[in-house]
Formats: sequence, structure tokens, C-alpha cells
Amino acid sequence: MVRTVRRERPPVLALAAGSIAALFFVLPLAGLLWRAPWRSVVSDLGAPDVRKALRLSLEASLSATVVCLAFGLPLAWVLARMEFPGRRLLRALTVLPMVLPPVVGGIALIYAFGRRGIVGQYLDQWFDISFAFTTKGVILAEAFVAMPFLVVTAEAAFRSLDRSFEDAARTLGASRWTVFRRVTLPLAGPALGAGAVLCWARALGEFGATITFAGNFPGTTQTMPLAVYLSLESSRPETAIVLSLVLLLVSLAVLVGLRDRWLGVS
Amino acid sequence: MRLGSLELDVELDVPPGRIVGLLGPNGAGKTTLLRILAGLLFPDEGRVVLDGRVLDDTTTGEHVPPEARPVGVVFQNYLLFPHLSALENVAFGLRSRGVPKAEARARAADWLERVGLADYRASKPKQLSGGQSQRVALARALATEPRLLLLDEPLAALDASTRLETRRELRRQLDGYDGVRLLVTHDPMEAIALAERLIVLEAGRISQTGTPKDISEQPRSRYVADFVGVNLFRGWAENDEIRVGAAGRLVAPGAGRGEVFAVVHPRAVALYRDPPGGTPRNVWEGTAEALDLEGERVRVRVGGPLPIVAEVTPGAVADLRLGDGGPVWVSVKATEVVVYPV
Repeated sequence: MVRTVRRERPPVLALAAGSIAALFFVLPLAGLLWRAPWRSVVSDLGAPDVRKALRLSLEASLSATVVCLAFGLPLAWVLARMEFPGRRLLRALTVLPMVLPPVVGGIALIYAFGRRGIVGQYLDQWFDISFAFTTKGVILAEAFVAMPFLVVTAEAAFRSLDRSFEDAARTLGASRWTVFRRVTLPLAGPALGAGAVLCWARALGEFGATITFAGNFPGTTQTMPLAVYLSLESSRPETAIVLSLVLLLVSLAVLVGLRDRWLGVS
Repeated sequence: MRLGSLELDVELDVPPGRIVGLLGPNGAGKTTLLRILAGLLFPDEGRVVLDGRVLDDTTTGEHVPPEARPVGVVFQNYLLFPHLSALENVAFGLRSRGVPKAEARARAADWLERVGLADYRASKPKQLSGGQSQRVALARALATEPRLLLLDEPLAALDASTRLETRRELRRQLDGYDGVRLLVTHDPMEAIALAERLIVLEAGRISQTGTPKDISEQPRSRYVADFVGVNLFRGWAENDEIRVGAAGRLVAPGAGRGEVFAVVHPRAVALYRDPPGGTPRNVWEGTAEALDLEGERVRVRVGGPLPIVAEVTPGAVADLRLGDGGPVWVSVKATEVVVYPV
């Protein structure tokens, strides 16, 4: 008969510090849930301002994700598979928006794509396209901050693939594009999907770059995070709380959905 | 041809109509050669021609990419696409070459039936056993009707019991296929059972070619001798005697004159604890160094002036207490020494 080993009791100090850390995470969320106007939640959600913000957030974040996928996937593939001078620098640059304060990102976008920005001025003069203070600007700002999330996870996914499958596909007669389409992408699929979801969640929650670059106009650039800010500023906390609840729920859903992949918990 | 540090000084001439086995120790360059033939590796120097068509030529810079070569490969670990069913795996090559989906699937189903896996069409690779995966991999490679079929240790990944059955099946499939078939292996049984002609590759060079029978009867290198399981000596023959190394002598009438190989089958080696009398001309004293059990026989490695391996029964080992090592007398009849020129 084997006796199970009794687990050692953790040291008191670790318990105390750990509990404080746990409270640090739990209290703000508890506060939000406690103050939520549960009785009027449904009607609050129906208010025009709130609905506009919800719709805009969804459209913009989804569009931003599509942009990230369209440009980020090829970039990730190149970073993962090709050797060229300056590759490390390029990779560092693509990760930059992750660590850059979002509001700084917003300012940088103004000077690049704004009416008088490096590229923006030509876009405005020649094609009459302007980004600043428009929905397009929101999409651009969100794509800017969210793209690194996609590129980093996609690059890791491409790297971890067993190249032998691609070799096998080529000996069977598949062109490099066919190999990518029918072997690489499907095999990397789950990881890419997780990257896309993370990218979308980041785009949804973006505030600093959006408000700086695109402004805060209801319907066109007032996404949910901005609406939360505005309603707090104008002393309408119920709207702020309700929108925050929605964002919180989305964040939790993403975390739960991706937990096995992202938190490394088996 | 040359690839980096591996120098393959090889002129391989593989005709269709016979299954050719490429044999050699690990690191000899077999898999590298296979990959070059498949187009997955560029040689630094060399030329590959199939059916008169140049696939690789480093002097002109020509290189035909793998997808454009009429080459099929069965990989050692099969590499079945895990996200596709058996049917889709087999159809993959056809679809990649432009065959419409419905027709590709029909032909794939046909192939699966030919290898006896009609019921496993919808199974995913992880649901298949080793032997089944091997058959799907074979069907997948054959479905595109390649002119050159390359098999990289096709049975290596299987356990012993499945291997036998699968080998028979594989031989059947290979026989029914025309075109050049080149098989890479390091397993003697596999080589002899599957190949009609063997090319032995050692350290990047061809050391011997011939039918399995030729090679078994007249090995020309240590590797092949070990492979076949015989004692091989190389020395100078003169006056019915062969001088091997510094102190070895083998009496072999009719050995002729010149540099020769001499083969002695372990069965022909007798061991004694006391010096034997009698007719055998090759008698010397050595030391029993190691024992290897092989089936119902024991192989005894004897060191001394002429190291040799003897095959005896377990009973004999017990009687002579060979397990204790120590001095033994070796006896080999001169008529049991097979000699042929180098």
C-alpha cells in the first residue's frame, strides 16, 4: 500500500504576498460588477450612443483584423522562413507597437497619415483619401496596435511547423503556393486562429491611438473604449459601466477560449 | 557529386525494370542522395538525368524543382498529411498536378483498394496503424505515376511482426509497377527481400554492386561482410596461402597469386579448448572475447593473430564454458575458405 505524500504547506510570506496580488486583480473587477446597474442594463444597452459605439467597435475591429491578416500573414511567413540582412531589425520594428504607448502611436500616425503627414498629404492631394478623424482612421489605428500580436503568433506558428510535410507535398507535385494553401496554412491554422482572435481583442480595446488619431466622434470614430471615457467625463457613469461590462465579457470570453493555447495551462 | 562536406563520388546508373537497393551504413550519404534525386537538395557539383531529361546540372545551373519532377517518394516516417483523410492524402498529388477533384478522388479510391485499404478511405493518419500508414504512403507516391520511385527505408518504422507482412505486400506492389525503383535501406533482410540489384554506398563511394546473391557470396568490404554475417579477410595470396595482416595466415589451396578477399562462414569455424589434431590446415590459438546470441546459435568472437567469428550451439558454449573467455583453439578447413580477387 502506498501512502500519498502530503503536500508541504507553502510559506506564510508567499501566501500573504500572493493573496494581495490576487486581490489586486479581483477587486477592480468586483467593483465593476458590484456597481453595475443590473436592473437597467438592457435598456442602457439600447441607448443610441451605446448602440452606435457597439456597432462601430465591432465593424472597425473586424476590419482591422482583416487588414492585419492580409498584411501580417505574409510578413510573418517571410520572417519565419527567409534569411536576409536586417531581418532582426524588421522583427523588432514589427513588435514595436506592442511596447509603444498607444497615444504615442496615435501621434506617429498623425504625422505619417494625417492631412499633412509624410504619406497622408499625397493621399489627400492625389486620391482625396483622409484618415484622421474618420472611421478609416480608427481601423488604421487599431491595425497598427494589433498587428504585432498577429505577426508574432503567426511567425511562431510557421516556425514550429515540420518542414518535411512541405517537402513531401512538393515531391507530390504541389507548387509553392499550393503547398502554402493546402499544407502550411491548414497545419498552422489553429495557431493562426488564436493569433487572429488575440489581434481582434486588442483592436477592440484600443483607446490611446484611436482617440489621438481618429478623434472622438459618435458614430464615426467613437468606439466603445472612447465612449466609456466620454461618458465618465460627462458624468454618465451608467453608460460607462455598461460598456465596460460588455468589454469585460468579451475579454473573458477570449481568455477562456484561448486559455489552453495562451496561458500554457495543461 | 558534392554537397557541402559530404562528397558523393557516385555514378549511379539505375535502369528501369529492376528494383535497385541502395545499401550502406548510416552517414554514407544514402538519404542525401535520395533528397538530391527528389530535388529537395542542390548538389554543389554534379548531374542528375532521368529518362534522358536533365534534372540537375551544376555546370549549366539547371535545376528542375521537385514539383516538376516525375519523381515519387515514400518517406521513412511516411509524412502523411495529418489534417487530410487517407483518400485525400492519396489524391493530393493528383490534385496538385491539375486533375479535377472528382476524378482525383476516384483514382485515389482505386489505389487504396489496390493496397487493400478501401475501408479506410475516410480515416485520418493518426487512426491508422504503422503498416496501414506505410501502404497509404506508397499509394500516395504511386498515384501520380512517377518515372522514378524513391523509397527511404520504407519498413524501418515498423515493428518486427508487421515488417514481414508489409515487406511481402510491398514487394508485390513494386513488382507490379514499371519505371525506376530505388530503395534505400540499411537492413539486410529488407535489401535481400526487396531488391533485385544492390549498390553499396560507403562513405560517399560505391564499394560494391551486384545481385543480393553476388554480394552475399563475395562481399568486398567489412560493412557488407557484417551485413551478410561472414568473416572477411583481405590479404596477399601466394603458394596456397594468404597472408593477412602481420601475423595471420590462412591456408587456401588454389588461392592463386595476388591481392585477394577470403571469406569464411562462421559455421565453418570450430572451437576447442585443447589443441586439435586432424586434417584441418588452419589451426591457431586465440582468445574467446565475446558471445552474441543469434536465434538458436551463438556467435563467438575470437581475438588473436587472425580475429574471427565462430558460430556454435548453446550446448557447445556450455560444454566448453566459453562464457568464461580464455584461450581457445580455432580450426577452419582450408576447403571452407572461399577466395576471390580484389
